[in-house]
Amino acid sequence: MIAEGDKSYVLFPLGEKRFALPAETVTELARPDSVQTFPHRTPLLTGVLVRRGRIVPVCDVAQVLVGPAAPPRRFYLIANCKIGARQELTAVPVTGECELASAALTPLTGTEPPYISGLLAMGSETVEIVALEKLVCVEATA
Amino acid sequence: MRSRKQLRPQPQAAREDVIVFAVSGFKLAIAAGAVKEIRGMEGLQPFTLGGISAQIAKLRHTLERNGTTYFVVDAARHFQLQGAHPSRVMVLRNMPTGVLVDSTDRIMEISALHALPPAFTHEERGWYRGLAVVNGQVVPVVNHGAFLNRAELETLRAGLERVRGVVTV
Repeated sequence: MIAEGDKSYVLFPLGEKRFALPAETVTELARPDSVQTFPHRTPLLTGVLVRRGRIVPVCDVAQVLVGPAAPPRRFYLIANCKIGARQELTAVPVTGECELASAALTPLTGTEPPYISGLLAMGSETVEIVALEKLVCVEATA
Repeated sequence: MRSRKQLRPQPQAAREDVIVFAVSGFKLAIAAGAVKEIRGMEGLQPFTLGGISAQIAKLRHTLERNGTTYFVVDAARHFQLQGAHPSRVMVLRNMPTGVLVDSTDRIMEISALHALPPAFTHEERGWYRGLAVVNGQVVPVVNHGAFLNRAELETLRAGLERVRGVVTV
């Protein structure tokens, strides 16, 4: 049951854990495509995808969220990400199929990293909401 | 409220000829008008100039052509890549710079130059003018002025003048 006022989120798996992005930021779940790489030095970015004539950077957040042991990524979740003053599409590789869900926020404990903007209680599971722009910025300036 | 179209930078639509070249397995492109000559590695002299060699580690050789000293940058070191097999030198036009690359491919026309996505925040922002898409393949178009920037050229000029007297560059 969806309580009034609950927001929608896209839940995505990274190995054994699930994370969430606000549904309004997600534009597409794409099948595996060829990531194109070129020389660069920005951490987390693994390359770019060409989607409908646009160049979309691929940001492998699994390296930060679950570490290097994450299983192979199977899909790309394409979401809007505010970088500086601009909204840019960013592709996030995920390890399995995603789910649209609605849930109420639960309070942060205060120990979360800055790129976790909230928590969702999904039955016995607590799902962290990822602030993609903060994650990209934190890693970019690391 | 800004529309989606306003938020999205449009690619520059000017047509341009570029030379495709390879470094460490990557394909890149450079404006054809920026290249004066493509040649083999004959005539390259090792570059050793005291502390300057260490300061500009990507500078490996010089090339004397028609009374001009060209400073030849190893493109693999410039892009911080490994596994290069250099075989060609691109001598740049209007600057005393050469670029050592693995191979040069073909000249082709690009119809649009996409801005590098702002998620790329490190050295690559200076390396590239933008990204071209050719038959679905993304090819970065290099900023040829970044192989040796103004400050590095000044350092080199001063260093060589100290060693040799006046040098023509």
